[in-house]
Amino acid sequence: MKKFLQVAMVLLFAGVIVVSVSAQGTKKPVTIDLWYGAAITEAGPPPDDWVVYKVVRDKLGIELKLTALPSNESDQDVKVLAAAAANQLPDLFMVRRDPWITLIKQGLVAPVDDMYPLMPNRAQNYFDEDSISFTTINDKSYGMAVPGSLQKNEGLVIRKDWLNKLGLKMPTTLDELYNVLYAFTYKDPDGNGKNDTYGYGAFVELFDQEQYLGRRFEPIMGAFGVAGTWNMTKTDFGLNVKKPEYYEALQFVKKMVDNKVIDPDWPSLKKDDFRAAWKQGKFGVMREQFAALAAAANYAPFDKNFPNGEWVALAPPKGPKGKSATGVSDANYRIYAVSARAQKAGKKEAIAKLMDWMASDEGYRLLGWGVEGVNYSVDATGNITDKGVPDDTKFSSPKGQTVTQLRNMVFYNSDLELNARYPYFTTANGRKQGPLLYLKTFQGYPWVNVTGMGTIMPPASNAADLKRYINQGVQEFVLGKKPLTKENYDAFVAQMDKLGAAEWEKTAKAQMQENGYLK
Amino acid sequence: MASVIKPSKSDRAFNVFVVASLVLLFIILFIPIWSTITLSFRPNDFIGSALDGMTLPPWRWSVAAFRALLGNNSFVKATINSFRIFFEGIAAALLLTTPLAYALSIKTLPGRKFLYLFVIIPYLFDVGLVPNYLLVTGLGLTNKLAAVYLPGAISVYNTLIMKSFFEGIPEELKESARIDGASEFTVLMRIILPLSKPIMLTIGLYYGVRFWNDFFNAMLYLNDSALQPLPILLRNILLSSGMNEYVEVSAFGEAPIEAIKAASVLLAAIPMLVAYPFIQKYFVKGTMLGSLKG
Amino acid sequence: MADTVPAGMVAPTKSGTNQLWRNVKRHKSIYILSSISIIYFAIFKYVPIWNSQIAFRDFQALQGVVGSPWVGLRNFSDFVHSYYFWELIRNTVMYSVGKMIISIPSAIFLAICLYECRINFLRKTVQTLAYLPHFLSWVIMYGIIMALLSPSSGLLNDIIKLFGGQPVSFMTDTNSFPWIVLLSDAWKESGWSAIIFLAALMGIDPSLFEAAMVEGASAWQRVRYITLPSIRPVIVMVFLLRMGTILDAGFNQIFMLYSLPVYSVADIIDTWIYRQGILEFRFGLATAVGLFKGAFGFILLFVSNKLVRKTSGTGLY
Repeated sequence: MKKFLQVAMVLLFAGVIVVSVSAQGTKKPVTIDLWYGAAITEAGPPPDDWVVYKVVRDKLGIELKLTALPSNESDQDVKVLAAAAANQLPDLFMVRRDPWITLIKQGLVAPVDDMYPLMPNRAQNYFDEDSISFTTINDKSYGMAVPGSLQKNEGLVIRKDWLNKLGLKMPTTLDELYNVLYAFTYKDPDGNGKNDTYGYGAFVELFDQEQYLGRRFEPIMGAFGVAGTWNMTKTDFGLNVKKPEYYEALQFVKKMVDNKVIDPDWPSLKKDDFRAAWKQGKFGVMREQFAALAAAANYAPFDKNFPNGEWVALAPPKGPKGKSATGVSDANYRIYAVSARAQKAGKKEAIAKLMDWMASDEGYRLLGWGVEGVNYSVDATGNITDKGVPDDTKFSSPKGQTVTQLRNMVFYNSDLELNARYPYFTTANGRKQGPLLYLKTFQGYPWVNVTGMGTIMPPASNAADLKRYINQGVQEFVLGKKPLTKENYDAFVAQMDKLGAAEWEKTAKAQMQENGYLK
Repeated sequence: MASVIKPSKSDRAFNVFVVASLVLLFIILFIPIWSTITLSFRPNDFIGSALDGMTLPPWRWSVAAFRALLGNNSFVKATINSFRIFFEGIAAALLLTTPLAYALSIKTLPGRKFLYLFVIIPYLFDVGLVPNYLLVTGLGLTNKLAAVYLPGAISVYNTLIMKSFFEGIPEELKESARIDGASEFTVLMRIILPLSKPIMLTIGLYYGVRFWNDFFNAMLYLNDSALQPLPILLRNILLSSGMNEYVEVSAFGEAPIEAIKAASVLLAAIPMLVAYPFIQKYFVKGTMLGSLKG
Repeated sequence: MADTVPAGMVAPTKSGTNQLWRNVKRHKSIYILSSISIIYFAIFKYVPIWNSQIAFRDFQALQGVVGSPWVGLRNFSDFVHSYYFWELIRNTVMYSVGKMIISIPSAIFLAICLYECRINFLRKTVQTLAYLPHFLSWVIMYGIIMALLSPSSGLLNDIIKLFGGQPVSFMTDTNSFPWIVLLSDAWKESGWSAIIFLAALMGIDPSLFEAAMVEGASAWQRVRYITLPSIRPVIVMVFLLRMGTILDAGFNQIFMLYSLPVYSVADIIDTWIYRQGILEFRFGLATAVGLFKGAFGFILLFVSNKLVRKTSGTGLY
């Protein structure tokens, strides 16, 4: 009897151990719903048999479900906010700053401070003090900052061939620039006998840091010392639009508009139209992004039309007080937030594991370029390139683009990335061309550093109406709908204050001072 | 027997006026469409004004834009999704709208006035995005194609048109059937429905077009990229903004961006344009009978 | 043949009630068939109306519809007191009334011309061309309009320049923008709307025309005294139906075409709601404005229906 009991006990123990061990081995995978910002939305999502799905399932025990956000920014906001209203936010999602702040107020996103220690890979290249403070509100971090595009990657460029044809020098001051613009408009710089060119080209491109007339006019604003939405100095903090120098800047732009030295389409053009226009030789001076200007695919149409055309970088012109700047530079991050729902379902650890794996060497390459030998190859100097792999799967091909849609989540502007993305090429008339030729120059020109501006909280009430009032008003002055007189401008500023600008300046100043951003 | 009356001077002037108006209308209608067509065939190396673009000789036209779109996997998938939404939506809409419209058309139906009120009230209250979103997601329709057409499967406007049509069917036809002892059900099945082909096609098309062109519902409720219909894809192409900062590559290769936009719009409109001529004769007859009784 | 009691009326006498009940039984199948539609209607139309009470609340996503705090009429008052309120109302009404005034008559005109045209080829071509733009989205319409009106590369300005004039930026000019909205809408939709009128025209009894011809009426008189009056019920119905949605001035169109310089004449209720209500997460406000629009439209519809009834005897109901 005793023997029997002993054997039974042993068997029971053994059984328990076996069961518990196997139970651990067959853990159910955690499903993570990820709404991501696609690299190129229209190229399409990753295929169903994407290798990353498998790796993530096998290595991390995560079942990944992907949804691409719309490419248009307000569509993104609508989608996220609508899901928020129904308390159906996905586990992990990209979100723009303004809606994100709203979500925090509503208690719909989870704090992520406890996730940072779980992501050592990310900490290396992504999470520095700046990026964490970017997502910190009221002492808690509510999102993970992923580096956005390269800083200071835009600049003024000018048609050197037009300058040469008209025998002009590169302008250094605002007045010299104006004369060049005038010549470009009226002196037929392309020599085709038709009066079809303009000096300056722009369109309205507004960002939180660049309101009023938008980013494309910043080099002119910089000449007056009023680049950017806010003046971030300790002594002169405030909305730039209220400064007297801004009035002068508007006068200059109005001069450009009145004398038609700027392409008159600028108020209603969209970005693609603007780019199509310079490729067709409509104007000779503009502020453009380095890759949009000089990457092979983008430069090709211009090259074909104007084989002897040449764009060179132009230092931002000096204004009446000797100031100059291409624009403002601030840290640029995308925010990936975790929904409160996901926290409730206990998914934060899995999300941290996922984010960290993405930043590991394996994840970085898989998400950034694909599979070696299929989508990319490594050349002798260790650079990643699309040569040496089949044309229809290389990472720059339409098919290749589908497997790199999530690269925005792992790129941090490393040299590896720059060399892979922006190779050099030869133009029709034999010149060496490529985005990197411009990048260093652009970055070397004067910029106004406005770190912290991106974290200014929107005004408590009336934000949309206030924004519209200011931006619409500025345009109306410049287009001559309202006469640009001191009187009118003062009245404009007074009404702005009434709509909440004064209050906003007060709270913004307090916030910036508290966080030590005012220099 | 109509006698052949010689057209008077004023009648001739009338005819000239009618023809001239139509020719003018033709020009007004044609020019913008022509501009879009030429835009979609625009080659990558084109420089010139709008006038030049519209008079570009055909041998300079390029099919790069169309080739890029038709070779794009998402484009093909999106088209299939749109077709599914189109046909499923029409089926659902007709199945739901017809009984209601018919019930409203029966003058002797007890409770008709209440039914009418029941139907008309929501027509006047556009409750906006959130209340509808809460409902649709609450019903579990997220990520289902039905989320695109189900919320709009009964349109009050279309119901009223269909009702008019049914009212226009001569009462005698129904009466004689009733006298022969037919139940209301039989009347509906044997008499009304066979006569209803024109109105079904008409209203079906009305619904179909609306579902085909919808992008808002699709954007809100279809998260899965594999389910997205054409308008979403189009919208992404046409309104792509700062987020696509990978400006150094294009998803569409060699064609200029404005050609891609124009071509994608034409491609998206083609199924509708092709379908319409086929059902045109039913369509006009259907609307005609439907509108007689106002 | 028993007298049929008019639908909906309950006769006081016992035989009246019996008659009513008999009617119900006879239409049993109709009730059953339409019950699905009615249930659908209750779910998809009336539940959102229940949800729309968030117009009177400060909507918090986590608390849901009934959990969000009640704020009474504050959302409505916020809207009415907003800086741009009167401008929004003015623009909205201007566009919806303007569209009605331009597009209904132009659709009628088009339909009559098509109807009266003897040249088959011309008629068929124009008819087909006319309904095509209906299928184009406003996104491409923006492109078409820019191709026509752009000051630097548009067709119209090319022609102006040809004649030595100065190009005009139509899209950003507050005087021309409203016309662009109205005319582009007419261009896009008249052909499609004409279909209804064309169908009505085809339903006119030909003998009426013959009689007129015998009486020696000219073509103009024929149109004036026979054609138009015959399709009057349809015109009235279309007109009334549009009255009910008068504050829907065309969000997609304005959204694509407008830009900051013309906000003062372009911003309509829906674009304002889009920015304030949705992008700023003020859903209660957005819903409140929606209800406001609905109530306004309802009153308008009611009033115009009464007017039309008084003057012509026909109405929507």
